[in-house]
Amino acid sequence: MPHKPPTKEELERRKIVGINEETITDVSSTDFPGHYPGEDHSWDIESFRRGFRIEFHQNDPFEASFSLIGVDASIANAFRRIMIADIPTLAIETVFINNNTSVIQDEVLSHRLGLIPFKGGHEGLHKFLKWWRKPTDEALVNNSYYDYNTVSLRLEVQCEHNDKAAAGETDPTKLYKHAHVYARDIEFCPVGRQDKYFSGADIIAPVNPDILIAKLRPGQEISLSMHMHKGVGSDHAKFSPVATASYRLMPVIKIERPILGRDAEKFARCFPRGVIGLEKVTKKEAAQKGSGYEGHDGELKAVVVDPMRDTVSRECLRHDEFKGKVKLGRRRDHFIYLVESTGQWESDAIFLEAVAHLKKRAADLEKQVINMVR
Amino acid sequence: MSREEYQVPTGSGSATGGGGGGGSFNAPAARDYAGESGGTMYYMCGDCAVRVPLEKGAAIRCQKCGARVLYKERTKRMVQFEAR
Repeated sequence: MPHKPPTKEELERRKIVGINEETITDVSSTDFPGHYPGEDHSWDIESFRRGFRIEFHQNDPFEASFSLIGVDASIANAFRRIMIADIPTLAIETVFINNNTSVIQDEVLSHRLGLIPFKGGHEGLHKFLKWWRKPTDEALVNNSYYDYNTVSLRLEVQCEHNDKAAAGETDPTKLYKHAHVYARDIEFCPVGRQDKYFSGADIIAPVNPDILIAKLRPGQEISLSMHMHKGVGSDHAKFSPVATASYRLMPVIKIERPILGRDAEKFARCFPRGVIGLEKVTKKEAAQKGSGYEGHDGELKAVVVDPMRDTVSRECLRHDEFKGKVKLGRRRDHFIYLVESTGQWESDAIFLEAVAHLKKRAADLEKQVINMVR
Repeated sequence: MSREEYQVPTGSGSATGGGGGGGSFNAPAARDYAGESGGTMYYMCGDCAVRVPLEKGAAIRCQKCGARVLYKERTKRMVQFEAR
């Protein structure tokens, strides 16, 4: 029997991960050579181009959401992991404590300082600043700091009684001066050419000035200086440019038999708001034999409006009245990313950087493989 | 022995035998900070948190509130930490 090429519906069906009440089906992709007899699924740049799409849903500096459609999970996951662990940012790496009489210990204070996200001029951060490598010889450490690999910060806070505080005041922030140490108290000390790259609006400063670092009482003091270096998230999470970088698969809701009237309202309540809409059954539909709408002219029916907003809670599968009327699934090749930047990069730039990074890695690997077989 | 009579033992001499009769108080201390800051060390009062200057051999007592618990000040040296 000669092999028939798959229909459009069949191709579409192959892309769906089935979601049942307690199980999931068709988890792995099948579009690789040899899986379907007589079909050629070898990877081809042209067919990839035809099927690939990017759609942006939201693009703000601190949050971007977009869809990658027509890629394999391995590629999508590579982008996600690169965004988390391989895009460099600047963070506090060394803390030199001259005095810390606060109740928070030196080690804990240093750790807290390291986790504060900073922002600055993009040209300086991404082009001017280079990597700092700790010299193997300990004695040379002090000669390894340059304006292009180290950013110096200072934090000097002393808590005192506030003489102007009203009698009977109980709020420590009014009773004392500098009772709370915030991220905005950190001072940037430019050296060398850093003035050129990090001045005015481009100054290196905490993204969120209201991060509470420590609490002080009168007589207590924090006096320290810090060195910032470039690093990547695989080294320490503080270097990660994203708060979250995640993806989920596009949900698919297929209403196979009509859901009408009160059931339709209940059905809509099984999903997050906006996923399921209610429409009136038209005269034409009601006149159609075998459609399931016969005699229901003017009644409300459930229609899928926006499956992307669904959380795939499977609530609708728990109710007997919807048994066999609805099919849930996810599209295996439709990845909805959510990237939240911590402020050093624009959210969309993090993704572009991840693509560039993967390209570079692939080129490096190619070179290695060529060397290996030579 | 009452509280006021108590004398701080020094590292050498007196601790070994009871027959010394307190004659070892002039023995030099193991570490002498006197040369660094003109003989005065500063301590923090445990009760009123005031800064108490103490000469060598002076009574361990806060001049302001009379408390006998004094704390050493933190080192003046810089301490380096990794922010991890």
